[in-house]
Amino acid sequence: MKSVPLTFIVSSLLLILAACKTPPAPPEVEQAKTQENDLWRAGAPVYAAEDYANYLQSLRFAKDRLIKEKAKFGWFRDYEEIKANYLVVLAEGDAILRKVKEEKELKSRDVSGRLALLRDRIGKLKKVSLTMNENAPVRRNLAQAEVASQEVEILFRQEKYNGLAEKIKMIDLYVVQAEETFFSILSRYADEAQVEQWRKWANETIAESRKKGGAAILVNKLERTLSLYRKGKLLAVYEIGLGKYGLSDKLYAGDEATPEGKYRVVKKLANSRYYKALLIDYPNEEDKKHFSQAKRKGLIPPRAGIGGLIEIHGGGNDNITNGCIGVEDKVMDQLFPEVGLGTPITIIGSLESAERLLASLRKSI
Amino acid sequence: MKNVIKVLVLGVFVMSLFTSCAKQPTQEINDAKAAIEAATKEGANIYAADELKKLNDDMTAAMDEVTTQGKKFFKKFGTAKEMLVKVKTDADALKATIPAKKEAAKNAALTAQQEARAALDEAKALLEKAPKGKGTKADIEAMKADLKGLEDSFPQIQAAIDQEDYFGASNTAASIKEKAVAVSDQVKAAIEKVKGKK
Repeated sequence: MKSVPLTFIVSSLLLILAACKTPPAPPEVEQAKTQENDLWRAGAPVYAAEDYANYLQSLRFAKDRLIKEKAKFGWFRDYEEIKANYLVVLAEGDAILRKVKEEKELKSRDVSGRLALLRDRIGKLKKVSLTMNENAPVRRNLAQAEVASQEVEILFRQEKYNGLAEKIKMIDLYVVQAEETFFSILSRYADEAQVEQWRKWANETIAESRKKGGAAILVNKLERTLSLYRKGKLLAVYEIGLGKYGLSDKLYAGDEATPEGKYRVVKKLANSRYYKALLIDYPNEEDKKHFSQAKRKGLIPPRAGIGGLIEIHGGGNDNITNGCIGVEDKVMDQLFPEVGLGTPITIIGSLESAERLLASLRKSI
Repeated sequence: MKNVIKVLVLGVFVMSLFTSCAKQPTQEINDAKAAIEAATKEGANIYAADELKKLNDDMTAAMDEVTTQGKKFFKKFGTAKEMLVKVKTDADALKATIPAKKEAAKNAALTAQQEARAALDEAKALLEKAPKGKGTKADIEAMKADLKGLEDSFPQIQAAIDQEDYFGASNTAASIKEKAVAVSDQVKAAIEKVKGKK
């Protein structure tokens, strides 16, 4: 009879022991581990550094509580509070993941927007640089800007947005340098007094054509046009090519600039190296005066001469001359019978101040 | 009396056994930490970031195990030791792979640099051969300026290589090469344009 209660007691104890077996850690523990890896891979240490650091602290706290709980005898472990801690961590992690995603999208939009703007500026500058022969320094800067923008593109594809700010700054620097060079070349064309003188020359030339009933030629360097007048009336406008530094005023031999001034045809060459040619009387008295002044001031090489043999010739309008004005052969065919010896040929920079042009370029660039 | 002594000796033996098992694996911890640091110093954070992250996670797990056991009445650091030894072994193995990865990145950068150089030289040679006649002279001058700009960017590759920024060097080289090839294509088109006019 005594063995019955003993058996009962032993059985009850075994039952209690079985019921109090070590409970497993909550699944949130493993979930948090995976989540932490996901956050790291997503770039949380970079895109949400502060939040990620706080998250790691919360995770550490939860882990420490778990460790404390695990240190207890299995029967006394209770993971309810631990589970709650981990749920907080998981919620925090989810919020960071969303933030990282948003931050990346924001950076992606920002970078692609800035890159598109810069590329647009590069494209416009490249296009306008083709209208001037003095474009070498501009294009050098633009080529460097393009290399840097290509690098940004590569990093962008790799989603490495954070290293891009410096590169974009570099592109901007190259583009600004190109713009400044471009604008400095054109600055003379924005000088109102200079433009006024060009206008005066143009008006005098057209007036002479009207008065004498003859032909006159007006060359506009900025517009790259040659206008043919008869009796003061405009007959035709042709496209032209200029010297390598055609937008500059010719000062001495070999500067590859195209002279500005009032000239006359002194020779008609029916068989020129460049199809047909009209030789003008460069240098005129004004040119000689400028040359002497520049020489005295040491602005030109000591041995340099003033140069000459400036012509309007055939051979095409998109080539680079040594200072002459190039036109298509068919244009020479049209000019040749219209123009005689002594016909006025006036070469000007522009009829309008480039200030407006520069302003619009600055705005568009 | 003899029995009492026997029990005492056995007691001391059992106690010492527990004590020896309860010792924190300080040496293993230091070794594992040093091994991770060495791998990082070698460049694992650049050339094997994922593997380094895993190592650090394993180290944290091992340290958590050490802390867990440290709080227990009957401390058993066997598992923690095993974990720490594995971390050290893995870190050493990772460190050993870095020089090869670094070398591969360096070689890739050098190859990219050579390719960029070749592309630049080819574009220059093409420009020299291009007929500077009607309709092409201005284009050629513009392209020469473009190539000069690429030449100006070229030293950036070597600068990046010198700073062991091999990925950056490869990117710069690839960009220069692409632009140089574009110039070559333009030159070829210009040559064709002239041929077509003849």
